[in-house]
Amino acid sequence: MSVRLVVRTFSELCITVGALIILFVVYFLFWTGVKAADAAEGEIDTLQSQWAREPVAPAPDAASSEPAPAPYRDGKPFATMHIPRFGPGWEWPVLENTEVKTLQKGLGHYSGTARPGDSGNFAVAGHRRTYGDPFKDFPKLRPGDAVVVNDGTTWFTYRIAKKPYRTVPTDTAVVDPVPRGSGFEGAGRYLTLTTCEPEWGSSHRLIVWAHLDATRPVSDGRPPELRR
Amino acid sequence: MYGWIWRHLPGNAWVRSIIALVLVLAVVYALFQYVFPWAEPLLPFGDVTVDGASAGGAGAGQ
Repeated sequence: MSVRLVVRTFSELCITVGALIILFVVYFLFWTGVKAADAAEGEIDTLQSQWAREPVAPAPDAASSEPAPAPYRDGKPFATMHIPRFGPGWEWPVLENTEVKTLQKGLGHYSGTARPGDSGNFAVAGHRRTYGDPFKDFPKLRPGDAVVVNDGTTWFTYRIAKKPYRTVPTDTAVVDPVPRGSGFEGAGRYLTLTTCEPEWGSSHRLIVWAHLDATRPVSDGRPPELRR
Repeated sequence: MYGWIWRHLPGNAWVRSIIALVLVLAVVYALFQYVFPWAEPLLPFGDVTVDGASAGGAGAGQ
């Protein structure tokens, strides 16, 4: 074993590790975005063909006789979300549950929280960075901004109530039916979005709350917030 | 290490280069397809939920 061989092998190892790290960064910053865009598009296509196949009766009067809707299936899309503040083309599918795999394909609905438009809190989580960066511009959200959700029958327009709120990951009360810290009092039709804070970290979470402002049957076309 | 691989590849320099290129591509594919997706939840960027789970893990569950 010559010294030359040892030095050479060590250098080769260093170069290999460096190349690995660069590849991982490429994977993280670029490839996850490609995968997520692809997956999200697929989920939206799934939804649209599903809605086209089985057109749900247009907005049944929110009366009592309505049968309980089928539960959302784990990991499957059930709605699309649009946030004009994030750009006119910003459209992501909302999938049931907030597991890692689910959040790689779109936004995740906290299982057990309300459905869009229902009384309670419709809570949704999304990546701020990587996997398409859906919530990259989260801190730019301002009171009055629209968050529009389409569940195949209805467009729900929520209005953001206040600037993003920073909290700790264990603060699960922010997705309560009447979220703590939101300033909302009493039951209502609320929406909560959560993402990570700081942008590349996980020590905190950013939260915004919104309340239901308007609904519109899909047969009436896109709501004014989404028209360009 | 790389010299050892090179010496053990068959054929002339051209054939060896092509085999080496294929090997590199196979390694990169395996990394992107299997290794990185496995390693990625170990980093904290996926923690976007309020779930009471400690930081650093995967943001699973409720």
